[in-house]
Amino acid sequence: MNNTIFKQTWQQMHEQPLISIVSIVGTALSLFLIMLVVMIKQVTVAPFAPESNRDRMLYVKFASIGSPDGESNCPWSISSVNTIYKSMKTPQAVSAYTSFPSRMPLSVDETKAFNADVKLTDAAFWKIFDFSFIDGKPYDEAAYKAGIAAAVIDRTTARKLFGTDTGVAGRTFSLGHTSVKVAGVVSDVSTLASAAYAQVWLPLTVEKEGLNETTMNGIGGIFSVVILARQKSDLKKVHDEAVANVNKFNLAIKKEGMKLINRNRPYDTEKEALDFSANNEPDVAAEYITGGIIFLILLIVPAVNLSSMTHSRLRQRISEIGIRRAFGCTRWSIARQILTENMIVTLCAGVLGLLLSVACAYGCNEALFTRPYTNNINAPMVDVSILLHLSTFGYALAFCFVLNLLSTGIPAWHACRTSIINDLNGRG
Amino acid sequence: MNKKLIRQIRNEWRSNLWIFTELLIVSVVMWFVVDYMYVMISNYYVPRGFDISHCYLIRVNNLPPKSREYNPADTSYNDDKAELLNRIQHRPDIEAASLSMASYPYDGSNSTAAISYDTIKVGTDDWVMRRLVTPDFVRVFRYEGANGETPEQLAEQLKEGKILVSDNLFAEHNIPSMRNYVGKAFKLDIDSTKKYVLGATMKTVKYLDFDSGKKNFSMVMTLGKEYYNVMDELCVRVKDNMDKDFVNNLWKDADKQLRVGNLFISDIQSFQDIRTNYQRSETNDMRNYLLGGAFLMLNIFLGILGTFWFRTQQRKGEIALMKALGSSSRDVFVREIAEGLIILTAATVVAAVLDLNIAYAGLSTELEAGRFAITVLISYLLTALMIVIGIWFPARKAMKIQPAEALHDE
Repeated sequence: MNNTIFKQTWQQMHEQPLISIVSIVGTALSLFLIMLVVMIKQVTVAPFAPESNRDRMLYVKFASIGSPDGESNCPWSISSVNTIYKSMKTPQAVSAYTSFPSRMPLSVDETKAFNADVKLTDAAFWKIFDFSFIDGKPYDEAAYKAGIAAAVIDRTTARKLFGTDTGVAGRTFSLGHTSVKVAGVVSDVSTLASAAYAQVWLPLTVEKEGLNETTMNGIGGIFSVVILARQKSDLKKVHDEAVANVNKFNLAIKKEGMKLINRNRPYDTEKEALDFSANNEPDVAAEYITGGIIFLILLIVPAVNLSSMTHSRLRQRISEIGIRRAFGCTRWSIARQILTENMIVTLCAGVLGLLLSVACAYGCNEALFTRPYTNNINAPMVDVSILLHLSTFGYALAFCFVLNLLSTGIPAWHACRTSIINDLNGRG
Repeated sequence: MNKKLIRQIRNEWRSNLWIFTELLIVSVVMWFVVDYMYVMISNYYVPRGFDISHCYLIRVNNLPPKSREYNPADTSYNDDKAELLNRIQHRPDIEAASLSMASYPYDGSNSTAAISYDTIKVGTDDWVMRRLVTPDFVRVFRYEGANGETPEQLAEQLKEGKILVSDNLFAEHNIPSMRNYVGKAFKLDIDSTKKYVLGATMKTVKYLDFDSGKKNFSMVMTLGKEYYNVMDELCVRVKDNMDKDFVNNLWKDADKQLRVGNLFISDIQSFQDIRTNYQRSETNDMRNYLLGGAFLMLNIFLGILGTFWFRTQQRKGEIALMKALGSSSRDVFVREIAEGLIILTAATVVAAVLDLNIAYAGLSTELEAGRFAITVLISYLLTALMIVIGIWFPARKAMKIQPAEALHDE
């Protein structure tokens, strides 16, 4: 039976080549666009190295600080981070890092080589993100406390500085006119990993003066916070503890007339991906509704197209259906066969659409994936581990199924509805 | 001919219902897309009030004490910055250079001001951008006076300690131009004891390229040398034909001639890049809408092509009969296309009603009668184009039907 259905599908397509091509192109196009939309969303949410633990992470990127003069939105100072977030008991790890990487000149032997994005972090940073070290290792708690100027650099930076990426641990280079040792080398990180991304990472204790440049009575500074929960089910617990700590902090600073406006921080990965302005809480529900409408349009318009074509095509097979029913075939059996035939075509077109979308994602990665409000001059690197997950294929399959149902359901039901006599006579 | 065609379309209403529904859905979505693009594109072409071509942002940092080049005796950062600015201004490829704070175009950091004159006060409910600069800032970004003043003349006003405001500053109070206020003294919230004299009015400076300018209010004032250390934006304009080697030449001198005290140059970025990055969100939206519109048009094309292909096959006998009775091939062709366009027109009428509802509900941009008519027309024409192209091939096939052979089959 399985073999026959493939043969029949092929025969159908062969009989009406133009219509078949039009159907396949239309379906593939629709799935191509749908998968692009899915991918654009997924790169902000789905896990990939070094942010493989995205489903367990919470973020506090900015602080909203109210004062008698008005509200100010800015990153955190290290002292506030220590008081509010580092003192938490429920998470596995809490890390502070500079919100905006700074571009600094790097050189070896005083000849200016190039600029790179530099991020200052604490030692816990390396426990939260899973970087892959090619050489050396990250700075640990002791080195961090001592403020030793040893940096982790990425592979491209190592090659530009020393010509190689192995055996460079321990060598020195000049970063912004300061001498720095290499602690370790990691493989390049895509700018899509927005919390982890940099090209050079340094302990934030290296620049003691920078740490003291605070604003808003010492609450504001240059750092953002990322929190790793022990397991996914802990997220609510961690969130509640963070909010409790903020409230405690507010009691302490009340006498200065200051107040932290929490806006329901910390956010999980999905909400954080929508967080563009610190003075607004991201609206996840609205995002779902918008996404839903987009998918609806992307599915319904081609479904109506394909529906009318399927309908016309089925009218030509009416005699065949009549004969089969005269010989005892049930309505349901015929409907099932029509749906299956079309599902095969839809799946083939779906594969084509998926391949096209991956190709497009590689080719137009800058136009598609660059996050707004970043100041990177490096295009977002994409590869298969970032673009394709099990869930991606799941989505593609689900959309194929829905599209098939929408486009073939009504014509199939319609074709089986008429009486046998009319079918045999070719009268629809 | 048309009456008969309309009657035929009505008679075949069952099969035409699919097409009608599809065209209805597509017309509504298409109008939404066209309306959005129309507003964005027409806003884009409103003059910006500044010019970033050949402009660069130089970031200057302080050496950390750890650096071997750090000079602990040097504490006069303001003087160092002034000297650095001076050296850069005197480079042969530089036309103008300035320091500023939260002021350059396409900057996410801004500060705002509340300005008042007499009883009129602005900047409390809306935003008046406050640009804190050295006088040459207006020469770097070629701000223009509303009365035709050149950037140099505006810079002169700033040097004399006067302020500049955009001409539309009091527009919300029914004062369309500030020209009559030149020379008058204003109060600023930054210092309620002083009064600031207006030197000249500027053309509206847009915040984003996609703003219409109507709500973009700004003012420019200078800060003295005592603030140079916190003015961390060093913006330069390069002479018109000297861009090519500018960045390389600057980096070559960055470690020697341009190392002043404990200051060093850490990054140079062109404003084109800054602009692209800053407007990424809006450009993404445009890209999405454009792709969506193209997707719709392609779907119409494929759908109409498929449907009319079938129709031509099924109507073989009918067309053959028409030709036998005297219709020319061209008549057959035109008839096919007319059929599609008539259904489209019917769908557009219903779609326009839905569009009005969407606009009223505030789901798209503000409703304006003129723009509504134009955007409905544009979306109609685009869809019609796709229909004509889609019917072309089947209609040509219909033209080629030989009456005798076709009727023979019947």
